[in-house]
Amino acid sequence: MKIEVLFPEAGNLFGDTANIKYLRLCLPEAEFVYTGFGDVPAFAEGGVDLIYSGPMTESKQEAAAAALLPYSGRIRELVEAGIHFLFTGNSLELLGHYIEAEDGGRISALGIADFYSRRFMDKRYNGFFLGASGDVEITGFNSRFSHSYPAAGVEGFASVKRGIGLNETCAFEGVRVNNCIGTYLLGPLLPLNPPFAARLLASLGAPDARPAFYDAAMEAYSKRLGEFRDRRLKLD
Amino acid sequence: MCYNPQVSIPYAKEDIKVGRIRFYIALWAAKLAQGLLRLLGRKATYFSGKLALKICPDFLGRIGRPELLIGVTGTNGKTTVSNLLTDVLEGWGEDIVHNRYGSNIDAGAATSLIDAATLGGRCKKRIGVLEMDERSAGRILPRLKPDWLLITNLFRDSMRRNAHPEYIAALLEKYIPESTRLVLNADDIISSSIAPKNKRAYFGIDPLPIEPPERGNIVIDARLCPACGAKLEYLFRRYNHIGSVRCPACGLKSPEPDYRLVSVDGEGGMMTVLESNGWYDYKINNMAIYNIYNYLAVSALLREMGYQKAKIAEAFETLKIVESRFLREEINGKELTVIMAKGLNAVACTRSFDYVANQPGNKAVVLMLDDVFDEKESSENIAWLYDADFEFLNSPDIAQVVAVGVRCLDTRLRLLIAGVEEAKIIAVPEASNAAEAVDLSSPDKIYVLYELYRRDSAMRVRDELAERLKTI
Repeated sequence: MKIEVLFPEAGNLFGDTANIKYLRLCLPEAEFVYTGFGDVPAFAEGGVDLIYSGPMTESKQEAAAAALLPYSGRIRELVEAGIHFLFTGNSLELLGHYIEAEDGGRISALGIADFYSRRFMDKRYNGFFLGASGDVEITGFNSRFSHSYPAAGVEGFASVKRGIGLNETCAFEGVRVNNCIGTYLLGPLLPLNPPFAARLLASLGAPDARPAFYDAAMEAYSKRLGEFRDRRLKLD
Repeated sequence: MCYNPQVSIPYAKEDIKVGRIRFYIALWAAKLAQGLLRLLGRKATYFSGKLALKICPDFLGRIGRPELLIGVTGTNGKTTVSNLLTDVLEGWGEDIVHNRYGSNIDAGAATSLIDAATLGGRCKKRIGVLEMDERSAGRILPRLKPDWLLITNLFRDSMRRNAHPEYIAALLEKYIPESTRLVLNADDIISSSIAPKNKRAYFGIDPLPIEPPERGNIVIDARLCPACGAKLEYLFRRYNHIGSVRCPACGLKSPEPDYRLVSVDGEGGMMTVLESNGWYDYKINNMAIYNIYNYLAVSALLREMGYQKAKIAEAFETLKIVESRFLREEINGKELTVIMAKGLNAVACTRSFDYVANQPGNKAVVLMLDDVFDEKESSENIAWLYDADFEFLNSPDIAQVVAVGVRCLDTRLRLLIAGVEEAKIIAVPEASNAAEAVDLSSPDKIYVLYELYRRDSAMRVRDELAERLKTI
């Protein structure tokens, strides 16, 4: 199995390296490829099973969009072929049509899913998230300067139970196209959500792979679920 | 000589009188509130300033400021540097307005200035040393216009408050007044690149023989050139992005320090600082590298202000890092150390982990890092745990790690992912049970690492550990 990490020198802002570190522990036999700015992505040649990108500063996000745009056709082919993508934090926005900056300028993105994003640099949204992706409850953290606005028919990553989705009124969080998942949730998404990690591993073709430190991860997950379900607790 | 209350932001003529009246109402109301709080025995850390700013939003631009105002900001070390600086200046008999007992946001600065102001709004003190929260730069710097601004460093910090260092650097860049002279860390390419047109001096530390071998860090906030985006080359990297860099693409490089620490005598507790006109030795009482930076920063600022080396060196003879942040004692042949580690701040915690890991002997570590405010009101965004190098605690000479607090299960998972053996980890939800969870039989040294606002609780754990150590 080959896992490609895009822009590791930038997409690591909020503890997001944990996702790859966790996958390494879950899949000790897997090959990990790190593709920095200026490198030719491994996915261009094929043979990659999961492509990961994490949250970046706004300037690096723009650089990432520019670096990926020449490969937008190839990325679309891979998405249609069912290759797995996991784009977290504001990397999610790379999957939309464009990102609207505060000055009204537009940063072109990949257009994999039918949505656009808008930045509000003077207003940071911070909050917790509780939602459901299929039968799996998802917990997570949001910290962002932007929201995204989907067209009708866009499939989300998770329905919103508490917190916000793609924007403050959207009923779902993130986007999903086949096995391509984009989510605003940042940080250690996989160790935080062992049932989701288990589902991802199974979908990647490793049904017997158990998320690392599963019992300890489940204990922490269960406690967080309890907190996030508790309506007395402020979550944003 | 003090400045009179002044209007530093332009107003329409008809508004000037109204603004002045509003200012005096704010000042007197705040002074009254300050007096009442003191009568009630309450700490007046920011309330009166908050009240004044509520009544008069441009209060900081109107209140009298000291003749000489020094600001200290940055992610890590700003409190220590402010305290050291205040101690030196007070030791020289200067009457200082400072916010060491108060808050470092705009309300805290206002509170300190209200305290130092006459009823007419004139500042009674000659020098001001104000620690400034970097996120509050826009509300403080343009109005107070410090004469000097020392920036210790910029790292990623609480994502909720600070987003990321590039965002904070842009904020400072936007709001630092042109007239403010900067004292900057040459070994931090992020903060040393700020406001390039301002007059400035740099301090930096040469690679030192006493330094442990370079450790890999999860967080390196400057991997790419801030000017052109190419990958930076590190000529040496002390920790995180602290070190000396060059950009192979555009030629940007770390600045040459004007105050260059060239050697440290660990046993004698001395640092040698080289300037263009020769070197000088200064005594320091704490050999943690981040505290050496703090001492160096203070000496560099004082030198820039024109004080003689010998005078500074004399002051450093008795200068000490405030004990609430670092307390070490020996009890019954074992060492007990309490260190403030600053929760939500991965780099500050990593520094403490690194320090503990580098100490010789068998060790036990108690972690009390949960955010106090999140614990009271909500849950905690624990993503920062994965930016902190818990891997440093995965060491054969660390016999036990006790994860304390409501987030102990998250900390336990983080430690497991860092490679710490499960048998070494104890998760303790209640701080009241932390001390008894520590196995005192094997470690020579016990470290209690605590989050900034958890000091009282950490000191209770320290007291209980001390009692137990007396009886073994």
